Amino acid sequence: MTEPLLKTELCGLHMDSLIVLLSGCVGFGEEYTRVEGFSNRDVGAICLKGTTGSLRPGNAPHRIYETPAGMLNAIGLQNPGVDAVVDNILPTLDFSETRFIANVSGSTLEEYIEVTRRFDDSPIDAIEINISCPNVKEGGVAFGNDPAMSARVVEACRGVTDKPLITKLSPNQTDIAANAKGCIEAGTDGFSVINTLMGMAIDIESRKPVIGNNQGGLSGPAIKPVALLKVHQVYQVCREHNIPIIGQGGINSARDAIEFLLAGASAVGVGTALFYDPLICPKINAGIANYMRQHGFASVSDMTGCLQLNG
Amino acid sequence: MHKSYREPIKLEQASVISQHHFDGEQHILRLHSPRCAQAAKAGQFVHLTVGPELALRRPISIMLADARQGYIDLLYKVVGSGTRILSQRRPGDSISLLGPVGKPFSVSQGTRLPLLIGGGVGMPPMIFLAHELRQHKQLQPFVILGSEVAFPFDLEPSQHLVDGLPDGVIACMPLLQQWGIPSRLASRQGFAGCHDGFVTDLARNWLDTLTADSLKQVELFSCGPEPMLQAVAQLAADYDLPCQLSLEEYMACAVGGCAGCTVAVTSQQQTRMQRVCVDGPVFAARQIYPDLFTTRQVNQ
Repeated sequence: MTEPLLKTELCGLHMDSLIVLLSGCVGFGEEYTRVEGFSNRDVGAICLKGTTGSLRPGNAPHRIYETPAGMLNAIGLQNPGVDAVVDNILPTLDFSETRFIANVSGSTLEEYIEVTRRFDDSPIDAIEINISCPNVKEGGVAFGNDPAMSARVVEACRGVTDKPLITKLSPNQTDIAANAKGCIEAGTDGFSVINTLMGMAIDIESRKPVIGNNQGGLSGPAIKPVALLKVHQVYQVCREHNIPIIGQGGINSARDAIEFLLAGASAVGVGTALFYDPLICPKINAGIANYMRQHGFASVSDMTGCLQLNG
Repeated sequence: MHKSYREPIKLEQASVISQHHFDGEQHILRLHSPRCAQAAKAGQFVHLTVGPELALRRPISIMLADARQGYIDLLYKVVGSGTRILSQRRPGDSISLLGPVGKPFSVSQGTRLPLLIGGGVGMPPMIFLAHELRQHKQLQPFVILGSEVAFPFDLEPSQHLVDGLPDGVIACMPLLQQWGIPSRLASRQGFAGCHDGFVTDLARNWLDTLTADSLKQVELFSCGPEPMLQAVAQLAADYDLPCQLSLEEYMACAVGGCAGCTVAVTSQQQTRMQRVCVDGPVFAARQIYPDLFTTRQVNQ
């Protein structure tokens, strides 16, 4: 059990901790429970692996590669398809342990709608929309890199579900705050900020990219300063509308998590850090609770956006 | 389709007991990790934090686990920054260890003559498997090891006669000899007593001496570089033998959470990406190299 001090509410979800395990890092919610000492109860919510309309085999190897203070990944949305997730995987999850959030991906607007609709008719607690996927009908540009396309995806998903909708924003765009504004108008209930930054690693002997997909998403401590700034920028839009942010990108300690809260996050995402230390979440919980006691914060929400900018 | 191996994975703070260095940047690391040692099976690996400089863990296969004394031995070669940092760890150093991970080897029913083929840093799982097989008196394993750098052990003449091998191929691994298991070595580096060629040459020599009935009792187990695994799979296809291969791939989580370490696995005409960490690392050869097996129906 986590400390009562860490209980919070996000998009109507009651969470025992402000930590959210990030999509793509923890499979479909049960993989890490094999590690002795790990418990889903130590986190407030778990975002399941990105799910598409039908089975996706994913990319050719190598899919991951360590880079300075981080790692690249290009998994390629390997998943069994939404029907298999809803019919075979969701029934195996213990919803008393934590909140489970589906992660919806698609190549077309229609696919986003189809997957969201299927999850709407399931016990899932909330739906996160991954708008960083390439739009195959419009030249393969990622939906999330264009504010108008982002808003269209959110609007379409909003139209088929009443469950809380969380939009995962990409840092690979010019004005993330403008994009966030459009997504709020389109009906999102919250944001995940940020998705990975696109990057490359090269093997100088073979003169080829190390990653099978040539490029991959950079995560880990290397992207934390970028993520913090993006959370700060998105928060400027969100606070007027009371829209919460799950701050994420390189969080590896309680201190990192607190920085994100101060920048404007209401909850924090942990992903790559779990690969380093599978038991990191209880440590982050304890560190945040200590900080709250030391600084007189009575609730997690009191910390959100407490950043005092230099004059 | 393979079922994921669902035994618990331990996370323990292991301490370095010893680290021995060999030619070719090979190292044998002995770690005090009693809980992992207790549970480890041949074919499994550990996922190690190599040092403070690199955060992502590195998967290293287990060469031997001593449950009674609480240690595991790892043989690895420096191939990049992670293994280089690992090679600098000294007795007394503490290393975070996740393990044992992965689906172990499993000897099929009807197998009497397990043939173990290990190449380079693929030798450790074969040594561990040989150690397990010696507990089963009805099994008569034969081990063939190959290396293109000096073997990380002193060679000695084998006291076991093995039919069909070229003259002068008499060198063996002392530890296996001590366990009463015949072994032979191959290398193209001209090491004394070793076969000047491939591990699969020796395997063919030996298989050719067997009767049809004996051949039905052979099962291949292998770990090593990809071209060698493919050659072993070809051998399995040619002789119609069941064959289990242990694979490796870059890994992030090693618990099945990230799907970063997948390989293409073909089963019942369907090819899917499966995770080396928990769906493997041991897979049936015909599932990894289905094209080699298309002309024959091979028992698994």
